[in-house]
Amino acid sequence: MRNFILIIRRFFNLILFVGLEIVCFILIAHSRTLQGDDLVSSANTAIGIAYQKQTDLVYYINLGKMNDTLLSENVRLRKLVDRYTTLDTLRDTMVHKALTNTDTTVHIVKYADYRYRTAKVINNSVDGINNYITIDRGAKQGITKGMAVISSTGLVGRVEYVSANFASILSILSNKQQVSAKLKDGTFKSTVWDNEHPDVFMMKDMPPELKIKRGDSVFTTPYGNTFPADVLIGRVAKVELNKKNGKQQLYLTPATNFRNLQYVYVIENLMSEERKQLEELPAKK
Amino acid sequence: MNIYLKNFLRFCIIILLQVFILNNITLHWFTSPAGALFNPFIYPIFILLLPFETPVWVLLVLGFSLGVTVDAFMTTAGMHAAATLLVAYLRTNVLNALMPRNLSEYINQQPSVKNMGWTPFLVYSGFLLLLHHIVFFSIESWSISGFGPLLLKIGASLVTSMLFVIVYILLFTRQTVTRA
Repeated sequence: MRNFILIIRRFFNLILFVGLEIVCFILIAHSRTLQGDDLVSSANTAIGIAYQKQTDLVYYINLGKMNDTLLSENVRLRKLVDRYTTLDTLRDTMVHKALTNTDTTVHIVKYADYRYRTAKVINNSVDGINNYITIDRGAKQGITKGMAVISSTGLVGRVEYVSANFASILSILSNKQQVSAKLKDGTFKSTVWDNEHPDVFMMKDMPPELKIKRGDSVFTTPYGNTFPADVLIGRVAKVELNKKNGKQQLYLTPATNFRNLQYVYVIENLMSEERKQLEELPAKK
Repeated sequence: MNIYLKNFLRFCIIILLQVFILNNITLHWFTSPAGALFNPFIYPIFILLLPFETPVWVLLVLGFSLGVTVDAFMTTAGMHAAATLLVAYLRTNVLNALMPRNLSEYINQQPSVKNMGWTPFLVYSGFLLLLHHIVFFSIESWSISGFGPLLLKIGASLVTSMLFVIVYILLFTRQTVTRA
């Protein structure tokens, strides 16, 4: 026993060092899993408040730029509204008929019902392997885990951690999440993910016969349960032929400018729960 | 000033500098504008500047709390803490190798340019920051596939960190005023 205590006293520093390193790696391993919760994260209330103070300070510097993006978004939305004003009554009747279920003809109704909430970005990172964005809305404002987040120009990410008044978003600049994506013509779907360069997305293994040009837009698909369909992810920057398997690789630049993100929209999908339950039924059997 | 108060203030200042100023500086050295980004890290300098005779276990505990604080701000879950712990553990050995006298003879002094000289101080901080960057970026990428970009990232980040360390030293060292 005496020798044991002597050994501990002799190697106390080494033991403490190794012990604390083990604690660190447990923390890291915890966050590596998809559903893992970070024990320390920027959704923490104290840190959220600190970031909020910083944003309050530097907020006015970027107002001009923010105004420009909001204006261009308004223009885009106005164009969309113009397109729908003539069709509005027709669409209403279609929905009504399908719900009453009196006739046997097939109607396609858009079921997904989304609720949008705005949120201010109070912390932002672009240079890590998994990048997180902190916003100033949390559980009290109705944010829950898994909601999609978009900016006025494109896809941003999904909500990962939520505290009472803050939430952190895992941005799509991340190894952890792949997004189901389609090209502008809608013919082909594949996943989009990050490679070593944080500002570039890749779409791997596209069939070689597909004709893709630089500047083609890439949108989200309705297949994943997280993101709403037809949100712009990015534009094709480079098309490359992979010589190993003869397939095409696309490099995309993201539509959202992650470096000066100011406001985002958090999207709640009201049908998400129902769809999830339905899709989990076969798995339970 | 009391040495505890001084180091506590330094802890706060370094965290604020790192989180609110340096983390907003993203550089792309040697790569296209869409290439890999680097971030200068100067917060390990808090461990480097603690007094000479600080026992190793205090260094470890302080390094861990410093790393976890930075981790909490950056949502990196223990990566900074792991890298900072290594710096804290090896600090005493590196200082022993670099300093001419035994460390216990430097009472109430801290490693600085004044009592070490520029070259030993830069070797000391450069070596430990190199270790810190290697550990941090390796844990962050967690694979050997992108080895080239990883080395580039470590190298470029280290150069920028060292620049900021020198700036920090020049800013926060009391200059002796010499009049002609």
